[in-house]
Amino acid sequence: MFFNSVSFAIFLPIVFVLYWLVFNKSKTSQNTILILASYYFYSCWDWRFLFLLVFSTLLDYFSAIMMENSSTDTKRKIWLWLTVGINLGFLGVFKYYDFFASSFAVLLNGFGLKAHPYLLELVLPVGISFYTFHGLSYVIDTYYKRITAERNFIDYSLFVSYFPLLVAGPIERATHLLPQVKIKRDFNFEKAKEGIYQIIWGLVKKVVIADSCATYANAIFDHYESMNSLTLLLGAVYFAFQIYGDFSGYSDIALGTSKLFGIDLLKNFNYPYFSRDIAEFWRRWHISLSSWFKDYLYIPLGGSKGGTWMKVRNTFIIFIVSGFWHGANWTFIIWGFLNALYFLPLLLQNKNRANMDSIVLGRNLASIKTLVSMLFTFSLTCFAWIFFRSKSIVEAFGYIKRMFSNFHFESQYLNNERYNFELLLLVLIFVLVEWYSRTREEPLSGKFSWIKVTLALIALLTLGVYSDYKEFIYFQF
Amino acid sequence: MKHFLFFIGKIILLLLLSASVLDLSYTYIYSKSTTRNKVANVLNSTSKSYDVIMLGSSRANNHFDTQLFVDKGLKSFNYGISGSRLQESALLLQLMLVNDYDLKTVILEIDLNINSEGYSEGTRALFMPCLRSNKIVSNYYEDIIPEFNLLYYVPFYRYINYDSQIGFRELFFSAINKPSASIQNLGFSGLKGSGTNMKYDLSKYSVKKNKDYEFIKDICKAHKINLLVLSTPMCSQVKGIEYFDAINTIYPEVHNYENSVTGDQYFSSCGHMNTKGAALFTQQIINDFF
Repeated sequence: MFFNSVSFAIFLPIVFVLYWLVFNKSKTSQNTILILASYYFYSCWDWRFLFLLVFSTLLDYFSAIMMENSSTDTKRKIWLWLTVGINLGFLGVFKYYDFFASSFAVLLNGFGLKAHPYLLELVLPVGISFYTFHGLSYVIDTYYKRITAERNFIDYSLFVSYFPLLVAGPIERATHLLPQVKIKRDFNFEKAKEGIYQIIWGLVKKVVIADSCATYANAIFDHYESMNSLTLLLGAVYFAFQIYGDFSGYSDIALGTSKLFGIDLLKNFNYPYFSRDIAEFWRRWHISLSSWFKDYLYIPLGGSKGGTWMKVRNTFIIFIVSGFWHGANWTFIIWGFLNALYFLPLLLQNKNRANMDSIVLGRNLASIKTLVSMLFTFSLTCFAWIFFRSKSIVEAFGYIKRMFSNFHFESQYLNNERYNFELLLLVLIFVLVEWYSRTREEPLSGKFSWIKVTLALIALLTLGVYSDYKEFIYFQF
Repeated sequence: MKHFLFFIGKIILLLLLSASVLDLSYTYIYSKSTTRNKVANVLNSTSKSYDVIMLGSSRANNHFDTQLFVDKGLKSFNYGISGSRLQESALLLQLMLVNDYDLKTVILEIDLNINSEGYSEGTRALFMPCLRSNKIVSNYYEDIIPEFNLLYYVPFYRYINYDSQIGFRELFFSAINKPSASIQNLGFSGLKGSGTNMKYDLSKYSVKKNKDYEFIKDICKAHKINLLVLSTPMCSQVKGIEYFDAINTIYPEVHNYENSVTGDQYFSSCGHMNTKGAALFTQQIINDFF
């Protein structure tokens, strides 16, 4: 059941009515209906993986309590590593086993040793990377005594399996979400209205921007050998907007849906393509994952406290691990590595926190510099996206090689029966809308909201891609 | 909560209103278009007279060079549509007759498309703008399309459902009356170049009685139209080429022209001849029948 499907459009109002009108007597009844709805939501993909979700919930719930009840640090540590090991073990088996087995076989073959790895070829349980990290943050926070272990199983289950964030985040923190599920929620009209605006805008991002860009990006990436330089350049730009529209659109719908139930989720995107350097980009892109890696990997590794070598090492580790988190493919690892390389000059010059202020453009020289910085950062990001989108490293290098060697810049007719440049106007309009609403969560609220909502609905009806249905990209991670 | 329900009600109303206005606007613009595609060309025109027209799939669209018929003094138009099945060919013929077309001969390409009684999503889409305004189209599709009621009654649903064919882009070109190359070329879409490593597997194809073909035969008989049914050439490496002979066992009236043009240099892909091949093939048909 996808957020942009008819089944979700039926599911959501039913849960909403049950939640506010039938099960609204107490916090427990509210949480119970949300858990049941979440389990149903998850089982719509594959009910068998529901057992994995329930097991993960039970494991983290009991481990945290055992950790808290342990009399010695050694016992606490054992419980921590046991839980982390089992959680990552599941992730490893489902997501990474085949990759490591086949990569190892390739390595052995390189030394002349014939190896035929046994591959599991398992279906990846949807959302496993998200809810595993979600649970891990809770267990680690309990270990470090940042929070106390949650004793109420219903509350904890909802924290793990809350359907708006279950399959593609945002990766929540117990410190943020648990306090909200531990109190009875009262209906708040303004919050619910905000939620609806955010859902509509999220749908526009997904169905109008991402899915339109996807038809072009797919046509270009799948036939890159016959494309000219201009088309390949546009392909990278289209994919940049596809993945942004897709994932930030999903996050908007998740945040908006959650607001309907009176629960705020962590903001996941903050207009990343207006970033002035790559460090700022990573403070604005997939914020919940970036901050997760910062808090649970970068800082435990020593963070920026050691010498330069330590900082560089830790930076490369978190970017490469972040790339690998996205999928078991060398393309994601290179993507992470490239971002670490982009980050390196800022780190060495101690400029990684240079652009913390809000972005302002005026009619002065500084604005030109800001604009150039934004375009440069966007270009770097697009270049890295080529690796993210390509099916293999060979394909990515082939794409880049052709982009920089073909030197033909005329229009090209693609196999989606469109010219390569046709989507640029839509992308430009989208960028302008985002620019003028960059200080808010979405552009529909505020003055003239009804006119803006009408325009968004018309855009959804006329410019949305419906016949060529596309799943959310991040569901596969 | 009352405020919220009122708010949601307003959004739903706005959505329905937008959909209704858009539906009317799209339908109006498409009803004025004749140059974008062959279906609109038939739907929005009346009382045309032709000595010969062609119907069928891409193997009609790419294979009958209409200009050669015109050079022979025959007023003609190629109504073959890439991807279309006999179901859409039958409906198109029916619409021509309702719109008072005077047709002497219909050349119907029958070969790979007789394999099933399926339909083409892409071609079906082109009929959708007139689903409500044209009884022939709505009657034809009422029993065929399972989601007919949604397409018919929900405003704008048909334009959403077939957005890649009749969505905003196509509407824009229809509004500015940008003619398609095919319409400007009397319906013929010639293909360029010669394909390499061309192969085709027909071993899974089987010939059965086809109700859409039977329907076309009945229409032609009722309107005293000369129906010329033929198959068209394939490249040299085809597995199960006997399929073409099998067509004759069920429908002996089909003229087998599969082998009338030989040499892969005349083919753009295994099932589609290039302009040179199409010219050779069309000339043979003219010589043999006109």
